[in-house]
Amino acid sequence: MSSMDQIQQYLTRRAFLENASLGIGKAALASLLFGGSGSHAADSGSVSTSTGVAGGIGLPGLPHFAPTAKRIIYLFQSGGPSHVDLFDHKPTMKNLHGTELPASVRGDQRVTGMTSDQNSFPVVGPFWKMRRCGEHGTWISDLLPHTQQIADDITIVKSVNTEAINHDPAITFINTGSQQIGNASMGAWLSYGLGSENENLPAYVVLISQGAGKNPGQPLFARLWGNGYLPSQHQGVQLRPGANPVLYLANPPGVTPSQRRQQLDDLARLNTLRTETVGDPEIDARIAAYEMAFRLQTSVPDLTDLSDEPASTFERYGPDTRKPGSYAANCLLARRMVERGVRFVQLFHRGWDQHVAIAQQLPAQCKDVDQASAALINDLKDRGMLDETLVIWGGEFGRTVYSQGMIGSLSAGRDHHGRCFTMWMAGGGVKPGFEYGSTDEFCYNITENPVHIRDLNATILRCLGIDHERLTFKFRGLDQRLTGVEEAHVVNDILA
Amino acid sequence: MTHRLFFCGVLFPCCLCLIYGCNIGESAGSDAAVQRVDFNRQIRPILSDNCYHCHGPDAENREADLRLDTLEGATADLGGYAAIVPGDSDRSEILARLIAEDPDERMPPIDSGKKMSAEQIELLRAWIDEGAHWPVHWSFVPPHRSLVPQGSNPQDGVESSTNNEIDNFVLAQLTASELKPSPPADRRTLIRRLTLDLTGLPPSREEFQTYLNNWDDESYEQLVDHLLSSPHFGERMAVAWLDQARYADTNGYSIDGGRHMWLWRDWVIDAYNRNMPFDQFTIEQIAGDLLPNATVNQRVATGFNRNHMNTHEGGTIPAENLTNYTVDRVKTTSEVFLGLTMGCAQCHDHKYDPITQRDYYQFFAFFNTLDDHGLDGNAGKNSVPIVEARSVLGQEEISQIEQQLAELREQLDLPLDSQRSWEQKALRELDDRGKDLELHPLKILKLTTPNLGVSDLEDDEVILALKRSSRSPSFLMKADAENITGLRMEFLPHPELPEDGIGRGNESGLPGSFILTSFSVSADSLPSDQVDLYKMISIRDTTASNAHANYPPVDCLDPRDHNGWSPHPHNQTPQHITFNFEEPISASETPYITVLLVWGGGAFPGKADLVAGQYRFYAITGTDDGTNLPEDVQAILRTDRQQRSAEQERRIGEYYATVAPELVETRHAIENLSDRLAILNKPHSTMGMNVSATPRETYILNRGQYDQPGDKVTPGVPACLPPLPVDAPVDRLGLARWLVQPDHPLTARVAVNRIWQLFFGVGIVSSSADFGSQGQPPSHPELLDYLAVDFVENGWDVKRLVKKIVMSSTYQQSSNVTAAQQQVDPSNQLLSRGPRFRLQAEFIRDSALHISGLLVGQIGGPSAKPYQPPGLWREVSHFGSSDATAQVFVQDHGEKLYRRSMYTYWKRTVPPPSMICFDAPNRETCTLKRSTTNTPLQALVLLNDPQFVEASRAFAERIINEGPEGTEQRIAFAFELATARLPTPQELAVLKQAYARNLEEYQQHPDRALELLQVGESRRDSRIDPSEHAAWAGVASLILNLSETITKG
Repeated sequence: MSSMDQIQQYLTRRAFLENASLGIGKAALASLLFGGSGSHAADSGSVSTSTGVAGGIGLPGLPHFAPTAKRIIYLFQSGGPSHVDLFDHKPTMKNLHGTELPASVRGDQRVTGMTSDQNSFPVVGPFWKMRRCGEHGTWISDLLPHTQQIADDITIVKSVNTEAINHDPAITFINTGSQQIGNASMGAWLSYGLGSENENLPAYVVLISQGAGKNPGQPLFARLWGNGYLPSQHQGVQLRPGANPVLYLANPPGVTPSQRRQQLDDLARLNTLRTETVGDPEIDARIAAYEMAFRLQTSVPDLTDLSDEPASTFERYGPDTRKPGSYAANCLLARRMVERGVRFVQLFHRGWDQHVAIAQQLPAQCKDVDQASAALINDLKDRGMLDETLVIWGGEFGRTVYSQGMIGSLSAGRDHHGRCFTMWMAGGGVKPGFEYGSTDEFCYNITENPVHIRDLNATILRCLGIDHERLTFKFRGLDQRLTGVEEAHVVNDILA
Repeated sequence: MTHRLFFCGVLFPCCLCLIYGCNIGESAGSDAAVQRVDFNRQIRPILSDNCYHCHGPDAENREADLRLDTLEGATADLGGYAAIVPGDSDRSEILARLIAEDPDERMPPIDSGKKMSAEQIELLRAWIDEGAHWPVHWSFVPPHRSLVPQGSNPQDGVESSTNNEIDNFVLAQLTASELKPSPPADRRTLIRRLTLDLTGLPPSREEFQTYLNNWDDESYEQLVDHLLSSPHFGERMAVAWLDQARYADTNGYSIDGGRHMWLWRDWVIDAYNRNMPFDQFTIEQIAGDLLPNATVNQRVATGFNRNHMNTHEGGTIPAENLTNYTVDRVKTTSEVFLGLTMGCAQCHDHKYDPITQRDYYQFFAFFNTLDDHGLDGNAGKNSVPIVEARSVLGQEEISQIEQQLAELREQLDLPLDSQRSWEQKALRELDDRGKDLELHPLKILKLTTPNLGVSDLEDDEVILALKRSSRSPSFLMKADAENITGLRMEFLPHPELPEDGIGRGNESGLPGSFILTSFSVSADSLPSDQVDLYKMISIRDTTASNAHANYPPVDCLDPRDHNGWSPHPHNQTPQHITFNFEEPISASETPYITVLLVWGGGAFPGKADLVAGQYRFYAITGTDDGTNLPEDVQAILRTDRQQRSAEQERRIGEYYATVAPELVETRHAIENLSDRLAILNKPHSTMGMNVSATPRETYILNRGQYDQPGDKVTPGVPACLPPLPVDAPVDRLGLARWLVQPDHPLTARVAVNRIWQLFFGVGIVSSSADFGSQGQPPSHPELLDYLAVDFVENGWDVKRLVKKIVMSSTYQQSSNVTAAQQQVDPSNQLLSRGPRFRLQAEFIRDSALHISGLLVGQIGGPSAKPYQPPGLWREVSHFGSSDATAQVFVQDHGEKLYRRSMYTYWKRTVPPPSMICFDAPNRETCTLKRSTTNTPLQALVLLNDPQFVEASRAFAERIINEGPEGTEQRIAFAFELATARLPTPQELAVLKQAYARNLEEYQQHPDRALELLQVGESRRDSRIDPSEHAAWAGVASLILNLSETITKG
């Protein structure tokens, strides 16, 4: 059955609901089109919430301000990309290469168990050449030649920092606002606060790819896109390559789309008959949920079928784009999703954990992401969508300037470094061609304009028109928020 | 938003109180006429929510030195004036500030986002003018037995009976409202509600018929007693406890390796089934190890506080991890038993409740004294301290299992008609071995390794790994042949390898050899460094030149670490293994072949040395020259049947039983039962608590940071609660006994409330994890106290409490909702109707299994791995990179596919998708209440998940085989099985039409019928006509998808 036939059937179905003599049709349709309110406190008396895939219409009063971005694409580089090698260039580093990192620079900084036993901490300069890019002459490594080309479109923040020094706490921190488990992810917050912009796809979609640099990369966890204390419909929905891009999307073998359509009509009739007796509004919500499931069955294949993309798209995003599940393919899907109004698309690219063999691993890992990341920015720009889409690129921490393992050895790498690292952002309200924050000559400590990940998250919310202090959810007696209980500041300097 | 939540959660009950004048701390009805403002219910929540953040218990962050959480603080002289002057609102500064026009003066400050409504301000004023009566927070005052309101005053025309005291309390409150109780639910609804509530399953047909035919006055009570004695009662109660105890089968943090805590789960089920008093249940779980002459099971019980997550992520700092573990124990213990969010005081004094940071660390000190390690639990081993024990469940099954096994093994001995044709086929295959076989060397384009970056390649075809090398290399290779039927790996001896062998194994295991633990391959038109999990090539079989008895070639297709292939001891000559594809591939379509190998598992987990030293890959065309047939079997095959000895006939029959397709279920059953027997027959490891010979010391941690210790503290309980008895030991046992001392203000209330929540969906205190000042006040305070006191006075008898609840008229009301009820009390806080809510995730799947007849009701034991979409674990895990278990999902077979969902293997970082979809928590932290949502993803599970598709097929079989004759009668039979009621004529018409339509469709397309019917591993009854079967499966699926089927109403 072609998707056109399916759309036709859907329209018929819609007519059925609108004209249904069953009486409940309109209510169900309204619920289906606009979603239900997903808001309730976990502690409150309400037993259930009803909604569509997404968070429905979001909270009243949001956004708090006029947003500069309607949507986010978060290109999360999982494992900790080396800021030392990729962005945070210090011409003086050449002279320091091979010298011992002064104890005064390390200070009382915690070091992971990976290198805490090392008796020497020799400085290692970047392995690859860096060059000045864009009109403002920001430094970007030759490992990222395509990213070099978009220097004028992005804001590079060199002073992001976190207290965490290991993957689990660090990646949990940046994605959920706390090192402690149990909190809601950024995407879940946005689904909860802003709701969905579309009727056919989830508000928050997650895509995962494995990098070439290190396979397997550090593990990922459902909690990184989880709902935490928020109602569970706000958790990220994973989109996968293969026959079932969304779990259980495909009808069972032997069941045709038209049979399924009839089955859903029967189900709606039966459920409606029951409502008349028991008067439970939850039943209406279930009817709507089944309708939306049917629409997902059409809209997801339409989203993931790239046959309508011209060859130029694949050229732009690179050869990997034709490989489902690759970072490049996911970047293209991200663009297709924001076109369809998905609120928050988050890519997780694994493999940025270069403890060993950084000289081999880092080029491979960079090659995975460079062309497609830059293509995404250019593509959004060409389509006039970059203005209202915020793109974020970065990982959970950076890497040490000192060598992990014997300096000069092929197997040497760099350890985790949370005290400063680099991320970049583009579009939706951030300054193009801008650089913010700086570090000392060892790329070890921040010397100017620190941006804690709480500040980063507050700034991201600000772009979406949200006051991070006012997007709260009462749970266990506290007004929980993405930025936690400690101070967080919007980094106004990077906002356009 | 805040305002809206506030309205729903707080104002509503306040309004009710204003109207009905209910007071806590005074017995019901004693003074109901006096319309006094109640501090605990009406004022404290306002002050707490709006003021305590800056003027609360937290001394460090207190603004203007003003404290509004105590009477002393609120009335303190602030220099000629006071925030609150009892009896004189005009002189109370607080009111002036609340209504101040000047934004600088106004409270709460604008930037706090808080705002007090005019009604709230007026309430405050009234309360001050009445004298600012300031009782202790209600939940810190021990409950006392409330007087049962006498004389229910049913409103006009309402037939309502009071079955027990619960109803008196509920009616007293309803009487004052505009709502009336609902009529009793009908018997069909009742048995379904009750059975779901007490066992998590719908009633069986027998239970249902017995009840409907029992017109005894006591029939309902008999049913209650029957269900309370069901072994499924313990399971049902345990499911909720597992959420609270954050039970899981993996460690949670980072790599998330496997652990074994199912013995503790068995203990919990058993405790509920034996109706262990809740005080004992508490003591054994908190401090069973410290009881005099502690039994092994009492030590197993202490697993409660070892269920928290732990880590073996390299590089993490053990001291930090240990702090996290203890923090979790404090959080869980305080929420589960005390209903207090003590976790808030880890970094600073509690903002709302009178819990100081010192209180917190004193409590922390109770749980900080065991021999646990900060980095532990890798490779599937439990982290210490551990307890070795046998399960408390199932010991009585041993002889029965042995008998079943004997019977099943006899089945293997029965001659099979299919053996003849198999022999012919096997002979043909033997003759065809090596036919047209050609080896095409594969060029290696790229080698990728996770950690060791040093290249292992000798040239572009041969891999040379003589030095320490990667455990899990990936090879990108290019083929140039058509009709590639498989891949072969060839291993060559090398003089630099131990014993001039083929592998790097040394004397610590398989010297000169290797173990190939896992092999996976994908092919694509584009080059790819990594195997595509979603395009993996299906491998039909694998043969090898030689195999170690414990490491047959087929085992390297099982990706788990514990098995693999090794040719040992055939190490000094070249060896090979061949992987024959299900379908051939061709270089013209998919020239790029990617292979991922994992080395070195088996009995030597994580052994980096068990790696092959020199090897290469070939694509093969033609037929493999290997076979898996043992040599003696080959010889027998080649012997004419008439010529074979009896022994030869026996041997070949025995061999055929291991491969015969019709015995696959028998083999699975034997395997599962053997597992079960092994489980029951020996002790297993589970984690428990102990006390170290040199316990850690506890310090107040500045801002909660493990590396910023302040004052040293010793164990103690929060000052706002009763003190530990003077003669009590100051350890976990003392703490446990303190928790359940009869006058404890919290424990019994919290426990009773949580059990109430199971049946009504919402607790009497709806914030069941928070009985503090930010929690919700009880909707029926006198009832809560009555039940709490009654619970304690009756020996903390859980079954008695459950029975009291379900015997009440309140519970037995119809749950149909009238427009008036929906309007006045949408969440049914006043209990004017029976409970109705969607079943929780586990019970939805369990119901489908039960209704379809697939359910395997076995109680307890290790977790099972039923169907799950492929790739879910591997795509995010550390597969291949470490010896942690639970990195790759391998589905179980046979009965393990149909066990209750509480036994489904719970991997925290990738929880079972069909459970998570229906709001199950991820079990990383304790959860006292789940949300209940309706989402399209749930619809997809019920419609398309193979588990549910198979259930509809099995259900159809039941309809046909067990149901009456006639379409309508069968529909009624099926409908009743799922919903306990008969369909209405309209419903019948819809289903009848659906059946007819399906039947016509499948009669026209019998191939599609067969496609649908092959979903799931249970054997289908082939006597049933496929079209009819598929048509009924469609009807069955409709019924399983009904809102009613997944709702308790």
